[in-house]
Amino acid sequence: MTSETETTGARVLVVDDAATVRLYHSSLLLEAGFRVDEAANGLEAVEAAMATPFDLFVVDVNMPKMNGYTCVETLRSETVGTEAPVLMISTEDRPGDADRAYAAGANLYLVKPVSGDRLVRIATMLTAGKGMSA
Amino acid sequence: MGLVRKQAPQQPEEVLPEKRSTEALREQLADPDPDCRREAALGLEGVAEAVPDLLARVAVETETNVRDAVLTTLSGYDTEQVAGSLAVHLASDDAALRTAVAEALATMPQSVPALLPDLLAAPDHDVRVMTAMVLADMTHPDTAVWLIRMISEDPHPNVVTAAIDAFLPVAGPEHASVLEGAVQRFPDDPFLRFTVQAALPRLSGTA
Repeated sequence: MTSETETTGARVLVVDDAATVRLYHSSLLLEAGFRVDEAANGLEAVEAAMATPFDLFVVDVNMPKMNGYTCVETLRSETVGTEAPVLMISTEDRPGDADRAYAAGANLYLVKPVSGDRLVRIATMLTAGKGMSA
Repeated sequence: MGLVRKQAPQQPEEVLPEKRSTEALREQLADPDPDCRREAALGLEGVAEAVPDLLARVAVETETNVRDAVLTTLSGYDTEQVAGSLAVHLASDDAALRTAVAEALATMPQSVPALLPDLLAAPDHDVRVMTAMVLADMTHPDTAVWLIRMISEDPHPNVVTAAIDAFLPVAGPEHASVLEGAVQRFPDDPFLRFTVQAALPRLSGTA
């Protein structure tokens, strides 16, 4: 799934099984000048990451086929080997959820809902200097 | 010495090999080799007496492919007892387990409805989010009714947005007020407002 504009911004993969969440995050990031691809689960995300170098991953936790933690672990493993920052966004706010995300390899863990301004601000910070020459 | 006719070996009763096999498979569920455990889980399909062993395995199994095999076999028992035992794991700290269980429950439309009153009233809102995930994939004539109830009544915005996401594929123009009501209940939730604003034109066919 790809919804790409003619911008030269950093390239982001939005990973969430909820179509509305993908639409929300993608719309915000597209409007801010990012190039955005989408994946509906961790498996799709890994496949996409093996084919395309992304500058940022925005990843949900609860997804079918491959959950967010496993997805991030796989992105960080030799299978994919990406060093691009990973922002995990989840409904889960139990003690230890963030720790699990960081242990898997995430750079930042946020709990839904995340305001548009905040998402764009963090995505911009995490991708500083990336994608401008694309 | 005259020839003595050997007695024909006694044939085992036909049921014995099957009994042994079932027992072996139940023991094999705890084998150190994941491939053996997976084989056992799949081999126990249709063996009702192994259901408690399979349910116990769900809680401790760490290999994804074995757990998936166990859940596939258990999904064949669309009973309230099995579904109820599985639903406990919707509250698990293990993301892989709770999502795998949600997928399994979605294939059990005969028994899950009886669990819904408790699931929709679960004090942990993450369990209610997972319940919306179950309903999103479950084929049942009342799915829309339950999702509308979640959208209209659940006190947590993340549950409501999860229910909206699950509901949109089956929603029609007549449901616009349900979605608008959710926005009114959570006016400060940007994602919920965005979702409803994006969905309303599509519901009315004006997108």
